[in-house]
Amino acid sequence: MFFDINPSASVPIYRQIIEQVRRMVAGGLLKPGDDLPSVRTVAVQHAVNPMTVSKAYSLLEAEGLATRQRGMGMVIAQRLPSRKLDDRLELLRPSLQAAAQHARQLEIPLREALALFKQEIEGDK
Amino acid sequence: MLDSSDFPAANAASDALAADPIQVSGLNLSYKKVPVLRDFRLSVPPGAVVGLVGANGAGKTSLMRCLLGLTLPQSGQIRVLGEDPAALSDSARARLGYVAQTPELIEWMKVGQYLDYIGAFYPSWDTRRVQQLTQAWDLSPKQKIVELSLGQKQKVALLQALGHDPELLLLDEPVASLDPLMRRDFMRTLFEHAPQRTVLISSHLLSDLERIITHLVLMKDGRILLADEWDVLVEVLQRVQLRSRLPDEPGVLVQHEHADGVTAVIDTRLFDRSLLPHGVQASGMNLDGLFVELVS
Repeated sequence: MFFDINPSASVPIYRQIIEQVRRMVAGGLLKPGDDLPSVRTVAVQHAVNPMTVSKAYSLLEAEGLATRQRGMGMVIAQRLPSRKLDDRLELLRPSLQAAAQHARQLEIPLREALALFKQEIEGDK
Repeated sequence: MLDSSDFPAANAASDALAADPIQVSGLNLSYKKVPVLRDFRLSVPPGAVVGLVGANGAGKTSLMRCLLGLTLPQSGQIRVLGEDPAALSDSARARLGYVAQTPELIEWMKVGQYLDYIGAFYPSWDTRRVQQLTQAWDLSPKQKIVELSLGQKQKVALLQALGHDPELLLLDEPVASLDPLMRRDFMRTLFEHAPQRTVLISSHLLSDLERIITHLVLMKDGRILLADEWDVLVEVLQRVQLRSRLPDEPGVLVQHEHADGVTAVIDTRLFDRSLLPHGVQASGMNLDGLFVELVS
């Protein structure tokens, strides 16, 4: 399992990791009991500060999404905190805000923008 | 401007008792009456990796030299590993590593010979690790230092600073002549020490710093413009494009007027967003953007 880390993004690295795990759990790509890569593995692979990875994992633990297993590192929690639709919508908000800004800059009418979004969502089916 | 030069501890719980390895207050330095560091103050908690950033001439190298006791300031209090750098004990020196902007090596020696020579000064020198890294970094122990390229000399200087696995590292533009792969390798090596070592690193390679720093110190004209945890700064600083200037409220870090209007950088912890005109676009910033907006 690999994280996609962009150190020059305007989102801190620890938050990029947290959000990717949240999304992968929400989308079923990560299942209860699945391993997260070790702090060292992530730090070495991306040449980032291990403390940053550690911080992300601790916050995921506090959130109830991952648990620390002795000698095994971090795994996705057996009992995931139930996520209401509202919570999941909140996860979607940042990318929609960016899209909304682009739409305004390109002066795309709301109706056309919504149609495009609908097409993107349904396109995978 | 923010003036929070005392960082929250990088690892507050476990290091509550450990003294900050770098403590500076009221530091003033001038060369021939030209001020270089002005009433400078900085505290670096154990385990922090602090990026020291600023334009050439901002005072970064002078600060490093003061911390090492190589330059004596006109006034100020400096403690490095709890000691006065001008009279650093051998035991503190053994816990400290330094890479100068221009490698200062003994040119007529061979690489292996030089590293053995340096290693003899340190009780904790890890000969095996140094040999491993010499090989991994494509250096030949038999090559004469005088024949090395600048990049190769920088590698030798890095080995010299890392060989005794110091708990505090002062790095002044340590990797400017190295290629990106080698720089990644070097950054990985930085984190081999446990517990995590404290690092003060100055560099213009901002995207490298973004990978590793816990804290940022942005310097201009011998003063601190901005100092805080990097993760926090990434989240709270925003660039906004406006038609006219904002009132000079706390939280407005800088405003630049240009032909199309005004670019401002705001700290959303302090700035009341309701003061922004409706529909104004705010965008996040990375270190490169921050440098350009604040230093120019």
